[in-house]
Amino acid sequence: MTILLKAADVAVHAGGRRFAGPVSLTLQGGRPLTILGQTGSGKTLLAQAVIGTLPQGLSATGQVTVDGRCHDLSCPAELRALWGRVLGILPQEPWLSLDPLMRARDQIAEGHALVRGMGRTQARAAAERDLEQLGLRDAGDRRPDQLSGGMAQRVAFAAARTGGRIVIADEPTKGLDAARRDDVAQLLLSEVQKGGALLTITHDLALARALGGDLMVVREGQVVEEGPAARALSQPRHDYTRQLIAADPSSWPPARPRPVKGAPLVECRGITMTRGGRRLYSDLHLVVHPGEILGLLGPSGCGKSTLGDVALGLVRPDAGQIRRATGIAPCRFQKIYQDPPSAFPRHVRLGQALDDLVRLHRLDGGRIPLLLDRMRLSPVLLSRRPSEVSGGELQRLALLRVLLLDPVFLFADEPTSRLDLITQAEVTRLLVETARDTGMGLLLVSHDRDLIDASADRCLMLDVTRPSMAPAARLAS
Amino acid sequence: MTVAATDIPLAASRGWSRTQATGLVLLLAVVAFALLTPLLVPVDPLKQSLRHTLAGPDAAAPFGYDHLGRSLMARLAAALRLSLLIAAAAVGTSALLGVGLGVLAAWRGGLADRLASLLADSVLALPGLLTVLIIMAIVPNTPLAFWIGLSLVLWVEYFRLTRATVSRMIVAPGVQATRLLGFGPFYIFRRHLWPELAPMLLTVAALGAATTIMTVAALGFVSVGMRPPTPELGLMMVELLPYYREAPMALMSPVLATFLTLLGLNLIAGGRRA
Repeated sequence: MTILLKAADVAVHAGGRRFAGPVSLTLQGGRPLTILGQTGSGKTLLAQAVIGTLPQGLSATGQVTVDGRCHDLSCPAELRALWGRVLGILPQEPWLSLDPLMRARDQIAEGHALVRGMGRTQARAAAERDLEQLGLRDAGDRRPDQLSGGMAQRVAFAAARTGGRIVIADEPTKGLDAARRDDVAQLLLSEVQKGGALLTITHDLALARALGGDLMVVREGQVVEEGPAARALSQPRHDYTRQLIAADPSSWPPARPRPVKGAPLVECRGITMTRGGRRLYSDLHLVVHPGEILGLLGPSGCGKSTLGDVALGLVRPDAGQIRRATGIAPCRFQKIYQDPPSAFPRHVRLGQALDDLVRLHRLDGGRIPLLLDRMRLSPVLLSRRPSEVSGGELQRLALLRVLLLDPVFLFADEPTSRLDLITQAEVTRLLVETARDTGMGLLLVSHDRDLIDASADRCLMLDVTRPSMAPAARLAS
Repeated sequence: MTVAATDIPLAASRGWSRTQATGLVLLLAVVAFALLTPLLVPVDPLKQSLRHTLAGPDAAAPFGYDHLGRSLMARLAAALRLSLLIAAAAVGTSALLGVGLGVLAAWRGGLADRLASLLADSVLALPGLLTVLIIMAIVPNTPLAFWIGLSLVLWVEYFRLTRATVSRMIVAPGVQATRLLGFGPFYIFRRHLWPELAPMLLTVAALGAATTIMTVAALGFVSVGMRPPTPELGLMMVELLPYYREAPMALMSPVLATFLTLLGLNLIAGGRRA
């Protein structure tokens, strides 16, 4: 096999401190390499060091050998000549890096014309070929806002790799659901099959599994495990890799559905919703009992979150009735949000926000330290603002804030979709335990079927065609 | 990336930047001059003494005398007091009106929003200076007319800014979560909206004060603002203009006072960190 890129002793520094590395890696034609790590593990920094796109204030050391020429990473300007010609760089959330006013064909042709020096007609023909290869033949005249997420990703992919035989993809599946994730894996692999090299940076175990090839697991800027992906993921040698794999919802033990008891807390009957002229669902029933965990599954844009808001009375449905258990204070029906920082007042210290709540409802402030302890949160966090706390900690604080009010019903709107695997497992377990212990009804929304299978008693599938209700266990089979 | 975010802190977005602090010091110096002069050198700014026509500085008039032998320092301080008072009153009134209506429009939506927006748009349709002149034709007291007229012109900017910011925030998860937790509108305003609005409003307020001072001076300069013998910056400039050869410093003093005040206000407005 041919070695297309060889990087030696890559390290990232800032102000005399080392953030990541030293790491050495080799990219071979026809064999993908995946760097797997959690948010903040330094995996993106390493990749940015290799391609010379580190943010200001950070500097890299090490050497990269491409096409028999050795480049020193401490002067990244040298590497720029490789971009687009040898290295194709697929940025995070690529649809954000497309020009919103430019047609898809022109975006791709621009790369051919400017980077590879083709004439106008030639470049357009090359772009047309790219589009056809990616199954986008009809999309050439569309602007990015007229493309679906998956199509936009393919256009960005075509524009990014115009000449390069080495593709570097940074978190290519960020914000995508399972079906789309497989498409991306296919797309990346198609490049490898043509003899190109692929370096993928991801936190997504499923993507790492789908890509195969070699795997590097990174933690705190250091490689803790290295080897063929199939071996590393089935027989991990390092504890951290084991932890990662155990935290993946697909390896959680399945939930055992329990019989429901007591009168329903929230009962929605005959709910009909339309959005933008499109019928999301009609005549939908949703009942949550005390202590019950109801999973709500569906692809993005199917109205899962809206249904939860309907149950909470935040959104009025087009038709249907909502009945709540009587004699319970409205503030005991609560919600946990998808993006933890957005659920707190931005400029207020977290401790202050909790104190405000305690004062408003004359609660027992002495419960805060106990709950902090139970959530395994440090009291130091209370003196910080939401932007200074990690997403996982903030989500646990959001749960803590809600628990102060002794909720009877909690709507958790994709509470872990922005969190790491290990944090996701922790937050989900806390939610499930709380529901079991306190008899709180939990409506858990997710796009991850494995997660719902492993935590919910019953599951409601929201499909575009028709919704179906099934016990979680039956879905799994 | 968390590593970068936690270990390399970005410049804090709170607090005053150096530019703003410079502006504030300038403005405070001007205010101190305007307020302290009558205490330190108590001379009537209207008292004429033709013996001293365009004379140089002495103990009673450290800045010298104007063409009618009045103390320039006393007149300058009085003129600044008048301009700053009108500016403070107009900024306060317009901010209260604009923020109040903006929050109301964004929060209630519907008819309240449409009526308030219609009002703001109709005010914008009339040139600001014209509005002030119309009010001056109706209200006999000139400073009062300035206050009313400028407040009517300036509130629109507060309104639009507040409405745009609040309508975006009111539907955000943060406010929804706070409502679900049982907090009322006052708390939401104090904890969510005000911290977001305050820095923007400071900019608008500083620019609004600058506009006010400039309008008062400009109308004084073309002799449709304050009437002589009231000390007023624009009026002083036009009165001293014929003597620019004999007493250039006398003409420069109101110009310099206006310039420093406006510079201070603009530094406060423009110095916000990105």
